[in-house]
Amino acid sequence: MLALLVNFITISQGLAALSPSDGRGGIYEDLKWKALLCCELPFAQTLDDGLSEHPPVGQCQLLNATKPESSSKSPTLSGNCLDILCWLEGEQTNLICNAKSHRAAAAASLFAVRPQLVVQMNVLSDEANHAAQCAGEDTAMCSISLHGNDATVSLNISISLNGSTALSPKMQVSTHHLRRPEPPVNLHYNVTTEGEVIFRWSDAQPNSDAINFEIRYASNSSLQQWEVVKVKGRSWVSLNELSSGIRYMVQVRCQSHINYWSEWSQPFYFTLGVSYIPAEIFTTPGSEVTIYAVFHNRSWSASKAVWMLNGQVKIPESQYRVINEQVSAVTVTVDEPGFDTLMCCHQWGERFKCIIAYAKIYTEGMFNADFTCQSKNSEVDTMSCEWNKSAWAQVRLLYRQYTSMCETISEMEGSEEAEENMECPSGAGDHRECTLRNLSLFSCYKIWLEVEGGRGKVRSFPVYVAPIDYVKPSPPSVLEATTLPNKILSVSWSRPRLPVYDMQYELRFVALREMANTQWKVIGPLLEPQAEIQLKESCIQFKVEVRCRRLNGSGYWSDWSMSYTSVVYNSKAPEMGPDFWRVIEEHPVRSVTNVTLIIKQPVLAGDPYSCVEGLVIEHRASGRAVWSNETTLAQFHSFQWRKEAHTVTVMSRNALGISTQNRNMTLSHQPKRRCVRSFSAVANSSCVYLSWSLLSDHPVPQSFVIEWLDLKKDPEQDVSLTERLQWVRVQSASRDLSLCRRFYGSEEFTLYPVFVDGEGEPVRYTATRGDPAAYILLLIIAFLSVVLFVTLLMSQNQMRKLMWKDVPNPNKCSWAKGMDFRQINTIENLFPHSEGLTACPLLLVSESICEVEIIEKTHPVTLEHEQDNEVPIYKSGNKTATDSALLADSSEPLSLEASTAAATPETSGQSSVTYSTVLRSDQPSLLRKQQESLSSSSDEGNFSANNSEISGSFPGGLWDLENHVCSDSANPRHSSSYNSVEEFSETSDQDYEASESTGVAKDLYYLEVNEEEEEEDEEEIEETQSEQENNEIVMKVDARPLLEGKKSTAVDSSVSHSIPLYLPQFRTECINPP
Amino acid sequence: MYFSALLYPCILAMLSLVHGIPIHSDSLKNLVKLQADTIIIRIKDHNAELKLYPKLLIGDPELYPEVPADKPIQGLGSIMDTITTFQKVLQRLPKGRVSQIHIDLSTLLGHLKERMTSMHCTSKEPANGRALDAFLEDNATHHITVRYLALDRLKQFMQKLIVNLDQLKSC
Repeated sequence: MLALLVNFITISQGLAALSPSDGRGGIYEDLKWKALLCCELPFAQTLDDGLSEHPPVGQCQLLNATKPESSSKSPTLSGNCLDILCWLEGEQTNLICNAKSHRAAAAASLFAVRPQLVVQMNVLSDEANHAAQCAGEDTAMCSISLHGNDATVSLNISISLNGSTALSPKMQVSTHHLRRPEPPVNLHYNVTTEGEVIFRWSDAQPNSDAINFEIRYASNSSLQQWEVVKVKGRSWVSLNELSSGIRYMVQVRCQSHINYWSEWSQPFYFTLGVSYIPAEIFTTPGSEVTIYAVFHNRSWSASKAVWMLNGQVKIPESQYRVINEQVSAVTVTVDEPGFDTLMCCHQWGERFKCIIAYAKIYTEGMFNADFTCQSKNSEVDTMSCEWNKSAWAQVRLLYRQYTSMCETISEMEGSEEAEENMECPSGAGDHRECTLRNLSLFSCYKIWLEVEGGRGKVRSFPVYVAPIDYVKPSPPSVLEATTLPNKILSVSWSRPRLPVYDMQYELRFVALREMANTQWKVIGPLLEPQAEIQLKESCIQFKVEVRCRRLNGSGYWSDWSMSYTSVVYNSKAPEMGPDFWRVIEEHPVRSVTNVTLIIKQPVLAGDPYSCVEGLVIEHRASGRAVWSNETTLAQFHSFQWRKEAHTVTVMSRNALGISTQNRNMTLSHQPKRRCVRSFSAVANSSCVYLSWSLLSDHPVPQSFVIEWLDLKKDPEQDVSLTERLQWVRVQSASRDLSLCRRFYGSEEFTLYPVFVDGEGEPVRYTATRGDPAAYILLLIIAFLSVVLFVTLLMSQNQMRKLMWKDVPNPNKCSWAKGMDFRQINTIENLFPHSEGLTACPLLLVSESICEVEIIEKTHPVTLEHEQDNEVPIYKSGNKTATDSALLADSSEPLSLEASTAAATPETSGQSSVTYSTVLRSDQPSLLRKQQESLSSSSDEGNFSANNSEISGSFPGGLWDLENHVCSDSANPRHSSSYNSVEEFSETSDQDYEASESTGVAKDLYYLEVNEEEEEEDEEEIEETQSEQENNEIVMKVDARPLLEGKKSTAVDSSVSHSIPLYLPQFRTECINPP
Repeated sequence: MYFSALLYPCILAMLSLVHGIPIHSDSLKNLVKLQADTIIIRIKDHNAELKLYPKLLIGDPELYPEVPADKPIQGLGSIMDTITTFQKVLQRLPKGRVSQIHIDLSTLLGHLKERMTSMHCTSKEPANGRALDAFLEDNATHHITVRYLALDRLKQFMQKLIVNLDQLKSC
């Protein structure tokens, strides 16, 4: 029998001995180690081998496992080849090796009987100190546990066939190469101050031989579209194509030198917005800190960055620095220890857009937390502490208990007596208070804050608190208060049992009826748990409260105790019930009659030994039904009345009983008896006197009630009728009454006779009186009107004197000699030059001696301009104000210079003549003035104000501008009437000569008005046009010599200044319209 | 014949009683309004403490979609969904005074859940749970602004809820 023995011996020799690519006889492929072992056995000798002492030994050779076909065809080794395969199993903790001869495969295919090949395999791992041995016919499989560690495993194989044996050369398998490389770990990213986003990772194993990496990323919403970046020779990569606001998932993997790719690493999620460099920083007070912010949003520009400190304060732009388009930097100095935040926002119109990321600055040191603690000594002692901190800081409250007193605690700092730190049960957070329980009031506690994340370097100053010094005791209890008849309020109470130290107290009280506008009166400090308070009145109930605190030493006032209402001490029941009246209101819809009793209040102050505490209202309806209501001291009480006989009695009550002398009221729907004959009221400013008389044959009422409505209370302000109603009861013997209070003068008083069985017929009277204030006001207005009128008259006189003093007196003119202006009714009478008047009624021939000359500049012949030129002369007096206003609007106002005189040598002898100069204005507004003047020609005008004050009545419309167009003068007595009120004061020749010497080129309008007309004119100011026509105000101008002396020709304005200035000179330019 | 004619209305009446709503519709509306108003006041007080610069705008509505912003109210289901999301956010924030708002939200959720049960509405899990977790994880170090953002959006939702109380009548 042919026997073949194969022995495998595996010896572990460590990892370092084997090159990864060299499997020492085999190759690594697809996470398996493969080898082909072929052995040459001395086949011929094997027949007698069983008798031999030393079996013959053959030779084995490892062939190239990748080409087993060629190797297996070796002529010398054919038929004795083994395929060896090793791999890891069981979560890569076991190495499996399998050796299988080619003979086995051939036997299976040929079904031929062949000698058996025995394969024996030894596997040995020194690191794991494990060995395995296995054998089999034609095939053998061994498994060895590696405990998850990498190892180099040695294996030996021996094959036996028919007594011949062959041993394999030494083979080694590195399990490291049978595994995939571990994916990289610690994938994260950094942002540089230039804005680069750099991802970094680490090898999973320290001695990793990974060289090539791949990193992939995709947005979280589209994980199918990966972006893959290859990285070689380094474990970082810069990704600059990322968008902001998108949540990305990124993974990385590595490739070993035998081309195994690891799995993808754990995903790393991130969203880019604004990155801060550094994201948090520790600094010291006063040091400068520079923080960079990277805008990953490409639409945000660093030039528009806005840095905010703690989200509250905008940091000045002078502290910013633009690094590049996406990176901004700020440098700040924090002076105080504590915690601050910096946010870099982007200006967006008026607002600053920010994301939720911010940089944190921890400034080392101690800050002031401003602790306030308050303890409570009760069943479980507690202490609540509050503090102030930045709203951005998350803090932890820490405390430590000491058994000694707080005064000596600084010396004991760090001593053994201090117990270990404890933390507020609420833990870290944005708390602002913490309540510590189960503490000892008599211990000392050190309390401080630590900013979360500040690594203990940022903390508050500690406070040392003895809870006993900060106790807020419970309020006193068991209050008792009594209002005594001797006007004393006696109060007593019980102090809280804990804390046990001496207490002081404060008491406050307020009358119960004044609760609406509570004004507490406070008494204290009181050292005893009782007090007696002197009152101004008796019978008053009070609301009383008490509080307490430590007598000596610090601590807090307790809360006020529960309110206690004082008891009024009485020794007997009240004697009298209150007086009352009623208001009857019928509800139109529900057919219900409501009766409201208005109860007088003085019952409160009565006999101090029989104080009234409330009311009892007793009702007696027809049918002997009786019921009663018990109320407090209310002012009103309402009930429904069913229109049947109903008697109401209001009684006072206290704890000892009800009053016995009470007033009744009977409500009856029956016709009321009439007993009042007359009722009247007389009012003055503050009182109303009421009087009445009764019919003689009627019984005398029990009393009278007079009611009225208080007009001061506005019904529109939801003041009910009940509240507005005022009433007073009068004894039956009285027949008059004086009511003194504030009345408005239109109150309606109603007199009700009250009988035992009901009310009599009421009588009403409305007291009216004028308001004296109105009279006084009227008198003042009248007086002021008179004063104003007189003032106006006087001022008018003065103005006329001022204005007309220089106007020559026409009576002094030669042409006016002998003329009686009062008798001149028409212009014809005055100027009997008919053709001149016909052609141009205003055209007067200059008289050599005296003339009034109206000169107009030549203008482009438009009618309006002509009118403009003439307007100033023809203003009527009562239009002056309007015209002045119009003039004021004009940029070139009309002016009249009364003192600017011009005279010819011929008139020099008339030393009493002065001139008025009327300056023209070309302003369009004058046209309006003129038209207004004309349209209101009925007014008797005073030419006043800044312009000429030309008065006088000129029959025939001498200066009527309606005639200026030289149209018909059919109405010779045109409506214009001009009062002549001014005296023509005659001035010296100097003025005249001076004017001439200066060659005044102004247009001059000389008017003569009879000074005798002055007074008459004043009287006619307000008269109508018709009156004017009848009331002749005659200008004493003798036109005849004037017309005779000069031909009636138009005077060109160009020569106006050369006209001999005889006064008065009336000259106008007549322009016929085209 | 007459017996059956009487029987059916009786059965219908009984059924309506059996399936009756434990909390009356108007009562629930009042209760929800009270709670929403309370939450709004608390949020206003809380966010006012930050004393933020008036021009500051933290978190556009289009940013951070994980925290509901301007979400439509379409019946009880959507209300529950949104409030649950807010509750998750508050739950993940550090302890502090926001805890009270968290308690308020839990109470409100309890009432709404009871209402949903009585109306036989089917509840569903919030859709963006994982995204929300990731968002909270990413921004764990910026909880002040996360809390401000979440509370501000919760306040807006509560205000919207108050004017859409009729949505409590539908699933």
